[in-house]
Amino acid sequence: MRAALLSPLSFVGILILWEAVARAGWVSPLVLPAPSRIWDGLVILFTADWFPQHVWMTTAETLIGFFVGGVAAIALGILMVNVQLFKEVIYPYVVAFQVMPKVVLAPIFITWFGFGMESKVVMAIAISFFPVVINTVVGLESVEENELLLMRSLVASRGQVFWKLAWPTALPSIFAGLKTSLTLALIGALVAEFVTAKEGLGTLITTFSFELKVYLVFAVIVVVSVLGLVLYGIMEVLERKIVFWRRSRFTG
Amino acid sequence: MEANAGAIGVSAVSKVFPSGLEALRAVSVDIQPGEFVSFVGPSGCGKSTLLKLVGGLLEPSAGEVTVGGRKVSGPRRDVGVMFQTSVLFPWRTVLENVLLPIEVFGLERAAALDKARGILRLVGLDGREGAYPRELSGGMQQRAALSRVLITDPPIILMDEPFGALDEFTRERMNLELLRIWGERGQTIIFVTHSINEAVFLSDRIVVMGTSPGRVLAVVDVPLARPRSIEVMKSPDFARTAFEAREYLGVAR
Repeated sequence: MRAALLSPLSFVGILILWEAVARAGWVSPLVLPAPSRIWDGLVILFTADWFPQHVWMTTAETLIGFFVGGVAAIALGILMVNVQLFKEVIYPYVVAFQVMPKVVLAPIFITWFGFGMESKVVMAIAISFFPVVINTVVGLESVEENELLLMRSLVASRGQVFWKLAWPTALPSIFAGLKTSLTLALIGALVAEFVTAKEGLGTLITTFSFELKVYLVFAVIVVVSVLGLVLYGIMEVLERKIVFWRRSRFTG
Repeated sequence: MEANAGAIGVSAVSKVFPSGLEALRAVSVDIQPGEFVSFVGPSGCGKSTLLKLVGGLLEPSAGEVTVGGRKVSGPRRDVGVMFQTSVLFPWRTVLENVLLPIEVFGLERAAALDKARGILRLVGLDGREGAYPRELSGGMQQRAALSRVLITDPPIILMDEPFGALDEFTRERMNLELLRIWGERGQTIIFVTHSINEAVFLSDRIVVMGTSPGRVLAVVDVPLARPRSIEVMKSPDFARTAFEAREYLGVAR
């Protein structure tokens, strides 16, 4: 209750302090523009007719990357759990890829897939893919011995065991992976845009930085943060609807 | 239902796990249709293993298990199994959990609805059919698990310490209700427990088992009339039978 009140209050406090420091001229506006100036930047962005297409581009790249990567990752996870040979062959690659900082691939993807949307989508897929694979595998393997025995005692088919038991058991874990991966997909799209792009919020950030319009850079950062929050929020709502039993399962 | 559909034969059954653990050695038990038999013994006496062998969930290393006169070669749909935990799926309501076997068997769900509701009434869960397992107490969860077994009318029910995780009061109430349902339907029940009193109270016969390797030490007849109420626990026959079982268990040490 107190935290619910103190947290927003502290935010307002920081903004006031920040504004005061900026107005007193202690910090150059090229380094840290005042909140009021950033607000001006936001007004400029949202009144400009060229702005929505940039927001749309980054959102589209993120979502397409997320969906394609998510579906492929879940499919790969299912395959790995059900085909032992597949798991033994593929799993080392998955782990090796997992520890590799995938941003290093961005310039290569631009070379391979061009300056347009495709290279950003591929980057979003690459960076968001593996948490879902691993969470799918872990989720599917968390079926309990007695649950499996119950299904066996009913002489359930492989398909029934999967759809009636393994898949719902894995869903909470898969959703946790998807939530992480949506945020990662946004990072992937932005990083690829940083490297080279015609459109997108990442492009705006690099362009405004070159032009020394730091208040606009900050305004775009605010937009990106809100975008990330909104996407995450949507996933939270979906998660609560679809895996409504999750909390009880893990907290007893 | 065939006349001997509920008969169970265990003859010279041994079970050695791949790890080398000898869980059972030369166990033989014959169980009549409609009989209530308990397996009692300390942890590691192989009573749960024996139950799984009868249910076709494990294969014997030697010997033979028959159900209804036929050799058991795998799980069978005329044998219902109940575990120490309720194993209810948290994403299904009580009613949906009870209907799980109907779905797996590929039977008409709509046709089984009334039956499911009737069984839930029988076990005292009417009004809770739309609840999720997490909203139920441990006793209620086991009632739901029992309903899930009863929905397919199996002539044989295997129960692996089904009330072992419940408190004493709930356990006694569940015992009474189990006896009432069994009295109405007359299934063959094998009941695994490590409570001697529970075994005496419920059973026609008690198979007393010992450890390393798991084996049958004795089979004790329970000379108590049916139907039984909690009162029988006061009777000298109850005390004598429980003591007899305890003595066999004491010999094992």
